[in-house]
Amino acid sequence: MSTETRTFTCPYCGESLDTQDGLKSHVFKSHKGRGLPAAEGRIKLIINKAEHTFLVEPNWTLYYLIHDKLGLTGSKQFCDRGACSSCTMIVDGRPVLSCMMLAIECDGKTVETVEGIAAEGHPLIEAYVNNHAMQCGYCTPGFVVASKALLDRNQDPSEEEIVEALSGNLCRCSTYPQHPIAVKEAAAKMKADKKAKAGV
Amino acid sequence: MSKESEIQTERMIEMFDNLKADKYPLQEYRYIGQKIPRNVDGLAKASGQAEYTMDIQLPGMLFMRFVDSPYPHARIVRMDTGKAEKLPGVRHVLRYDDPGLPETENIGYFPIFQNDRPLDCVAHFEGQPMGAAVAADTEAIAEEALSLIEMEWEQRPFMLDPVAASEPGAPLTYPERYSDGNFWNRGVLDELIHGDVKKGFAEADRVIEFKVNRYGHTWICPERPCGVWRWNGDQAEVWVKNQRPFVAKRDITTWFGGIPMNKILLHMPYQGATFGGWTHVDWSFGGLYCAAVVSKRLKRPVKYILSRREDFYGSSMDEGVYLVKVGFKNDGTITAVDGTVYHASAIHPAFSPVVHFHENTRVPHLKGQIKSIWVNKGPSVGIRCEMLVPILVQTLVMDRVAAECGMDPTEVAQKNDGCQGHDMNWLNEQKRKRGFVVRDSLKECIEKGKAEFKWDELWHKPGGRKLPNGRMHGVGFTWGHEWSDSTGSGEIAIRIERSDGTATLLGIHCDNGVGAETAYCQIAAEELGMRLEDVHFNPQFDPGFHLNSPDSSCGTSANGFAVRHAARILKQRILESATSPSSPSQRGSYAPAFPNMKPEDLDIKDSRIFVRADPSRWISVADYARLMAIQGPVSNAELFGARSAWTEPLFAHAFHVQEGEYNPHSPREKFCRQAHFMEVEVDTETGEVFVTRVVNVNDVGKVINRMSCEGQQYGGSIMGVGRGKLEEMVHDPVTGVMLNGNLIDYKIPTIKDVGPIGTVLVETGLGYGPYGLVGIGEDIATVVPHLIGPAVYNAIGAWVYDFPITPGRVLKALGKI
Repeated sequence: MSTETRTFTCPYCGESLDTQDGLKSHVFKSHKGRGLPAAEGRIKLIINKAEHTFLVEPNWTLYYLIHDKLGLTGSKQFCDRGACSSCTMIVDGRPVLSCMMLAIECDGKTVETVEGIAAEGHPLIEAYVNNHAMQCGYCTPGFVVASKALLDRNQDPSEEEIVEALSGNLCRCSTYPQHPIAVKEAAAKMKADKKAKAGV
Repeated sequence: MSKESEIQTERMIEMFDNLKADKYPLQEYRYIGQKIPRNVDGLAKASGQAEYTMDIQLPGMLFMRFVDSPYPHARIVRMDTGKAEKLPGVRHVLRYDDPGLPETENIGYFPIFQNDRPLDCVAHFEGQPMGAAVAADTEAIAEEALSLIEMEWEQRPFMLDPVAASEPGAPLTYPERYSDGNFWNRGVLDELIHGDVKKGFAEADRVIEFKVNRYGHTWICPERPCGVWRWNGDQAEVWVKNQRPFVAKRDITTWFGGIPMNKILLHMPYQGATFGGWTHVDWSFGGLYCAAVVSKRLKRPVKYILSRREDFYGSSMDEGVYLVKVGFKNDGTITAVDGTVYHASAIHPAFSPVVHFHENTRVPHLKGQIKSIWVNKGPSVGIRCEMLVPILVQTLVMDRVAAECGMDPTEVAQKNDGCQGHDMNWLNEQKRKRGFVVRDSLKECIEKGKAEFKWDELWHKPGGRKLPNGRMHGVGFTWGHEWSDSTGSGEIAIRIERSDGTATLLGIHCDNGVGAETAYCQIAAEELGMRLEDVHFNPQFDPGFHLNSPDSSCGTSANGFAVRHAARILKQRILESATSPSSPSQRGSYAPAFPNMKPEDLDIKDSRIFVRADPSRWISVADYARLMAIQGPVSNAELFGARSAWTEPLFAHAFHVQEGEYNPHSPREKFCRQAHFMEVEVDTETGEVFVTRVVNVNDVGKVINRMSCEGQQYGGSIMGVGRGKLEEMVHDPVTGVMLNGNLIDYKIPTIKDVGPIGTVLVETGLGYGPYGLVGIGEDIATVVPHLIGPAVYNAIGAWVYDFPITPGRVLKALGKI
């Protein structure tokens, strides 16, 4: 028979109790009305402007969390080692490879995915459709997100700057020449919209 | 027979006969030939809402992964899956010796490969998925469980080099299937003899021979191979990543003692590219079969997935050693070509190396054979496309002859253009016979391409131009016929929807990105007289009508016919309906929408049915079709004395049947040509080749969607350049293990790797497809890869015959290493 003695640790203050009933009465007495204790691995994310809370395993990537667990399947996994950029998301304003980033590292960060970019009616979406900047479409969300990150920091990018910004994105259908055309068209639309808004 | 019935009958006959140009051409085109955005799939793809098989998640779904062979040729002698079974989260381990697994099964398109067992116990290449499959709560758990499976192997001798494997006494690479040697030949497509090469070489002024090594490259489809199986009682619900929906269903229907076709619910989600590839590997459904077995046992949906590395084990259809002999006159006229190719592990018959000479030249004496030699590498299958071998040979022969004669290769091309050994006069006669206009496609392509490329200014003698940046400048030219086939059969239906009169195309089809769906909508809108926005095609669900497989080859040229037929029949039906008494029943009928008129008095334009003689008299198709909408199950308006006229169902179904001429022994003449120009810079210090410009000229016969065509020109060129200078699967000769089965070490082009691409489209109408079109999706990526050879020759004055042309191979040709 095991001689091991078991203790019960309070999730709020860490105090050790001898029995489960002891723990129950301790929690009731000392921490009543505090809500559920914060579990290990619990993170908060602002995804596409909405707050989300998740309990994550330490080995989950941001991609796995968002694609498989949250079900926003727009981001795609093409390679398996940070070579393709199909899983690109914008985290705290910077484009990152979500398959190379652990979800648990992202606590408190803001995340933008292609779904969020489409939902806000970003002109990139229409420009991509109009200019056939896609074929099979599997890598397309990664390009859209990378282009959005570029336009966020540079509203009037040159051809070279667009090419540089998209040089990490692989497209096997090789739609590459159509992307700078689409990004420029979106940039021009944004410029025109801004002017119209300012009443110029 | 009434005039309308005659027209109807004639149009039905047209379904079987596309050997002549269109008998009912439209007077003007509104959508066909335009730059049409991606109306069907674009928004879903750009906004991340397009669903791929990899994205499918179902309640309770398990993930399945496979053991890979660590050896290129070995047999499992013992396997212990005990530890894997005990890993938390593992729900089932399926073993090769499971009594529930059949010895053989229909698990793919070509039932000739070794792996027709869903789980094999003998590996014939390193990385072969086999032995065991683990189904677990997550893919990560399944992967971890694979590492806990203990295996003992009996290693066997292996061969990687097709020439060595073909020698007498070479170790057997597939003894289970090929016990008397490593050959696999059918002598159908792989051999072509025309004329007498001995005679041809005797007539030649000069005869040269050369040898080419083409190393294996692969498809790299962004979505990994996968599939999902769910049993709904005795009904199978299946999601497949595959470009042949009908073939998938045809295989599945034979499983487990027979699943009736009408109990298979097939989903064809968006496809993360296919290029042929896995669809042709017969084992491709082995994974799905295993998923079905486990799903049956556990009563849960199962998704099988191959790893990114597993996706690498398949090669293009041109890997091998080429021995070429060519005889020619000093004026560039070729008299004979003899080619033999030792082709590595061709899973289905590759085309003879001289097929293209037969199809688009006047070269009178040809002999070519592919020797399919099994080696212990992944299978070689058709990937954009099976014409890689003959077009490689054509490019290098034509350019080598031009170089030997000191001639402009565009002149040599025109000197040898023809068909089946005949000259252009003969070919023009065939155009006339088949009802086509007589135009010289190659001449038009070359003229337009030379102007766009500035060929006359840029072409120079080999090794004759050094650039200010220190690199050598080179240009190359090649040509061929367009892939003009409309082989295969396809069926589709079009329905005018109740309530709003929109038109829906009904047919299951693999959308792997070529934009065919938009093209079909254009054709339907054009022929029906509907607005493009009123026509839609959702090809992912199975209405029981199957468009032509393989769904990317010959798509528009075969399925375009079916769409056009259906649209023409439906238009006629709408007009007949609009001029006939409506809702006939035992109580009588109502007056036609257009009383006292005949169908030919009406027409449809802008989704409106109107009177030809008085266009102000019209009714929209929406309003016309809406008449049905007032009839609900309990709203029998006639009881209340109201009118309850309804429109008869407006639906038409059509099909296309055409054997085509995918047979080198009885080919249909090819009329459309394509020409490609490439500009390179070669750094003679490092050996690196920079492709600075490509110009494609494609005579597509007739453009349907200009932007889709240009997309294929861009995509084909860039993929072609990748194949020509970057892409090679490297195997360790000592262990037989692939060394670069990942996307870091196997390079595919990025946005920075290829210079500007010029796109020129020629429309001669000389194709066998509807409106005289031909396909464009397959050929550019097939023709461009080896154009880099003559371009590099023009730069450095030395031929590099090892492909891809890597820096090391350039330096070797320059004698520097």
